[in-house]
Amino acid sequence: MTRLTPEPRVVGSSKWNPGRVARIVVMSVIAAAFLLPIIGFIALAFGSQENIEAGRSGFLGLAGMSWDNIVYSWNQITGFGPGNGGLFQQWMLNSVIVAVGGAALALIAAVPAGYAFARLRFRFRKTFLMATLLAMVMPNTVLVIPIFLEVSAVNAVGQLWPVAVIMGFFPFGVYLSYIHFMTTMPHELVEAARIDGLSEIRTFFLIGLPISKQAIALVAFFSFVANWTNFFLPLALLTSSQQNKTISIGIQELIGASPLFNATVAAGLDVKLYLPQLALATVISMIPLLVMFIGAQRFLVRGQTIGAVKG
Amino acid sequence: MTNQLLEDRSATGPTAGASRAADGGTPPKKRRRASWLHRDETVGAWILLAPYTILFLVAAAIPIGYAFVISMQKAPTLVNPKSGFGGFDSFATVIGDYRFWSTFVNIFTLMAIWLPIMIIGIVALALLIHASPGRFGGAMRFIYYIPGALGGIANFVLWVYLIDPVNSPIAFLWQGIGASTYKEVITPGNMPFILTAMLFFQGVGTWIVVVNGGLNGISDEVMEAARLDGANAWQLAWHVKLPLIRPWVGYAALMNLAYGFQLFLEPYLLRQISSGSVVAEWAPTQLGYAFAFTNRNFPAAAALSIILLVITLAIGLVIVTRSGLFGDDRVPRIKKKDRTA
Repeated sequence: MTRLTPEPRVVGSSKWNPGRVARIVVMSVIAAAFLLPIIGFIALAFGSQENIEAGRSGFLGLAGMSWDNIVYSWNQITGFGPGNGGLFQQWMLNSVIVAVGGAALALIAAVPAGYAFARLRFRFRKTFLMATLLAMVMPNTVLVIPIFLEVSAVNAVGQLWPVAVIMGFFPFGVYLSYIHFMTTMPHELVEAARIDGLSEIRTFFLIGLPISKQAIALVAFFSFVANWTNFFLPLALLTSSQQNKTISIGIQELIGASPLFNATVAAGLDVKLYLPQLALATVISMIPLLVMFIGAQRFLVRGQTIGAVKG
Repeated sequence: MTNQLLEDRSATGPTAGASRAADGGTPPKKRRRASWLHRDETVGAWILLAPYTILFLVAAAIPIGYAFVISMQKAPTLVNPKSGFGGFDSFATVIGDYRFWSTFVNIFTLMAIWLPIMIIGIVALALLIHASPGRFGGAMRFIYYIPGALGGIANFVLWVYLIDPVNSPIAFLWQGIGASTYKEVITPGNMPFILTAMLFFQGVGTWIVVVNGGLNGISDEVMEAARLDGANAWQLAWHVKLPLIRPWVGYAALMNLAYGFQLFLEPYLLRQISSGSVVAEWAPTQLGYAFAFTNRNFPAAAALSIILLVITLAIGLVIVTRSGLFGDDRVPRIKKKDRTA
């Protein structure tokens, strides 16, 4: 309603009318519905099972928060595993290995491929681009069982490297860099390089690559996030080896060892994994994503409209 | 190392080509030069594509082909541990399995509830954000996006906390339906609703960004014209914005449809915390997982994968060719600057 006037809009204009009030109220209520569970969940990570059971945690558990609880929960989580525990740290490390390894492979593959699709003419270009788009829009878990059969045929189930290699296949990254070169590198630039006698590959490395910081940051970010949160692929390939699990399926093992859900398993453990411990493990597992997000933020703001197509 | 190799190769490229062109004689010099250029371009393209092509083969083409081969084999049994060619037997096994149709009924039930809510939610929130320029709209969009950033297992553990019928902030809901344990909350009847809530919470934010991208692509002239014609905010949204963002809405609907067929994590983990009150093979992917890891019937697991692959591939084809977002050699209609940022 504020935009009825053709003059430039004034942000925060003083025109209040029922439509505007309704819009702001609806949006704020929905925002609260999104935010409050997350605040409660983070408070839960700072909470303790005793306080929660005694009903002493207050609204959203905010009253039951303490650093001592974190220390206790941390000892429970890290105490999980054979001997002195330490599986949690191992799982985090494994996730770093496969997520970084996969993102590095995705970069090496996607940036030159996107350039070739955008600026070079060759046979089967359309077909390959089409296959890439299809692979991009297809949900990736559909291929997990076939990939498991393949990896098991080469006897590599339970090892980390096949997971990283499979994660390196990131068609969305190819699409991102394809769009990047389509929009930022004019044909004339490629032609000029050719006339100057530069080979296609040199043109890519000397002209294309230096203007690709944006694409590189986006591909690295989206690929890392997808790898870190991937569940089904590590579940199929790594469940057989407890030491080689990633954090996503590791947390599943923690859930399975909670007295809340499996009293028999939990009874045999030295550590007690109630909801505050599970919440802390989850919050810690999100820290690398947060770091990546902050690192990539300035690229994301500029590139979000491109990234928008994948969602 | 690869880079160096590529550089070396490219360094010898032009000179080698030039000498070839030089000793090629006089006649159609121009055409020869053109074809040489083109061949050089092709070679260069495939060198640049090499790492991606290898990964494409390893992570997509070969597994699909191999799954097809495996699906054509006989399942080994205790009596006859040797497998051999079995034709389409595995497909018959899968389709004849008593769980096969029920997994699809489950997925369709979920989609009947979740997809309309999801699409209406995405469109409504995107339009609301687009009608709120400035800091407020930006902040709202960011807040709606946060749950999506959690992703996968983190979102699930968050829901373990929300489903808790005793201590959850929404425990009154669960007590309202008479549930006091996880097992009583997670029942087969409640599954579509719980999953709808989980998927909506997790997915809506990213899709708002997508549809918002479409809304930002609407030219200022169109909006001005509508406003000059006296359209109010509601009319603007319904008669101008909505028809213009149809491709994005269609894209969102189809992507979510395809997503529904591959649902795994949520039903799989809900089963884990439900003390067995929902079946282990609720979704088709879970049935595939059971074939592979419980029954060790790889041909059946492969056959089911192929079936799911065909379904999602069909949806994917519609998205790529019909949505209008991936026009050939055209940059998708996405605007460069973001108004609400």
